[in-house]
Amino acid sequence: MTITDISHRRRYLNRGNIYLPHIAIIEKIIDETPGERAIRTFHFNFKDEKLREEFTFESGQFAEYSIFGIGEAPFCISSSPTRSDHLEFAVLRLGKVTNALHRLSVGAEIGFRGPYGNSFPLDLLQEKNLIFVAGGIGLAPLRSLIWNVIDNRDKYENIDIIYGARSPSDLCFKYDLDDWDKNKTVNMVTTVDRGDETWMGRVGFVPAVLEQVAPSASNTVAIVCGPPIMIRFTFPVLEKLGFTPEQMITTLEKRMKCGIGKCGRCNIGNLYVCRDGPVFSYAQIKSFISSEY
Amino acid sequence: MLAKWGGKDTSFLDWYRNTITPAKANFFPPMEEMFSFRKDREGYRIELPPSDEGKQLIFGIRPCDARALAILDMTFKDAYEDPYYLSKRNNAVLIGLGCIKPYDSCFCTSLGISPAESTDVDLMLTDIGDQFLIEEITQKGKELIARASGVEDATEADEARAKEAKESSYNKVARKIETEDIKEKLLPNFDNQDYWERVAAKCLSCGICTFLCPTCFCFDISDELVKNQGERFRCWDSCAFPIYTKMPMENPRVEKWRRVRQRVYHKYQFYPMNFGVIACTGCGRCIRQCPVNWDITQALNSLPAKVKAEN
Repeated sequence: MTITDISHRRRYLNRGNIYLPHIAIIEKIIDETPGERAIRTFHFNFKDEKLREEFTFESGQFAEYSIFGIGEAPFCISSSPTRSDHLEFAVLRLGKVTNALHRLSVGAEIGFRGPYGNSFPLDLLQEKNLIFVAGGIGLAPLRSLIWNVIDNRDKYENIDIIYGARSPSDLCFKYDLDDWDKNKTVNMVTTVDRGDETWMGRVGFVPAVLEQVAPSASNTVAIVCGPPIMIRFTFPVLEKLGFTPEQMITTLEKRMKCGIGKCGRCNIGNLYVCRDGPVFSYAQIKSFISSEY
Repeated sequence: MLAKWGGKDTSFLDWYRNTITPAKANFFPPMEEMFSFRKDREGYRIELPPSDEGKQLIFGIRPCDARALAILDMTFKDAYEDPYYLSKRNNAVLIGLGCIKPYDSCFCTSLGISPAESTDVDLMLTDIGDQFLIEEITQKGKELIARASGVEDATEADEARAKEAKESSYNKVARKIETEDIKEKLLPNFDNQDYWERVAAKCLSCGICTFLCPTCFCFDISDELVKNQGERFRCWDSCAFPIYTKMPMENPRVEKWRRVRQRVYHKYQFYPMNFGVIACTGCGRCIRQCPVNWDITQALNSLPAKVKAEN
């Protein structure tokens, strides 16, 4: 099996001016994690009813979200296309736009351009064992894919999910973690870097836990997303377990402005994360990842 | 910016050398409104700026800068079309004028460009003394000439003088780089930190090389808000600035040598990988206008041929 080039997959070309955002309305806000760097999930729908019906996307794609007067920022679509009565994205509060997003309340209007980028290669994942490895808010893009494969469970073999966060309160999408934990067709492993008095589960960094779980590389694809430091330590563990670079898929995050391969800044080597990614096989980015990511 | 011509004095044709700002600024301005927005009781409304239907005629564009536009077209047409750039591009006529006096920082001939020849324009002019020899390159150019007065058929002597002028210009470009195997030389040097640190040492990260580069296209997008209305605009950005790639938690190019390396590799390695052409036309602006005389030809010409094997 080879997944060497997943960069030029199906795209959705907008007609007209690509930089003009659609107006979307926030329908629900979920507090995922507390604290200074809080994470929130936003459920939204398009204001235009025709677009609401016509809009399609694939797991792994992202969009440029904006608050008029503050600016734009890219986030993945964290909901699954198999559950399409609304769309979702998750935001970690860190900068100007993310702070402004966290100040929004239900009913607020935001700008939305997208979907952009490629997507997870569903056709290449079918009839494979899938191992999802995620850290922190890195679960957001994988969550879209996880629900996608769970909603088409027959097409895939074993599903393992290894998810970790710094502490129990930093775990995102706890409602999903509970669902997947109860789902008998999925092996869910949750871990935290540091536990607290109430935490009864695993303690350990995601790459170390991955090594303990030790999934077989045979007929398996690993899908990895998390902070760069976690990604950097996870690939060597997978290699040790016998995974080839073509069996490892990740989705990357970079500073972006345009989202469509023009403004320049999100390149890794000759690849633009926005235009050629954000989904890459490790084989594609191996030669640059040590030095540019 | 290029000078706007009053319509009378033509003496500049005898002395002017290439402009400081390339013609890219006429198609991709340093700052440009993308749309405006305002909020009323029904929510946000988005409006495009007044349409930019104005036709432009760029007179005297040099072959290097005309080629640069053809290179920029590739990015702005790629996958998603950029409406702001392309509408201006489609509404313009380019009249090229061969260089008589290339700068000593010019190295266009190493990039396959002749300073007095171009097929990237609509009409190409060659100074043959008291007249210009005009070559019709495109249909647009032909139509323009058909409507012009005072144009005569060129004689064989005129053609010969033009040929001589072109050759003479070509030979005046003294600075050279070796582009033949440049990709093969660059690739193994990507992780040669020692080399890039040395090369980048004197760079001030001021970004002028990128702003004035005719093939640099990086931009930033920002919003401005006054009360309930505002606009989204884009402006030139530069890989020379650390903030260009800065994310709240990470920045892959904090160190200056990584940013200098990015500029060189983008032009000579990544753009050829993506579009099959080097994104440099040898116009020499990045050398001429650099406050510390940073010289891309030196950086390329002194690339170590063999990189020490990693231990």
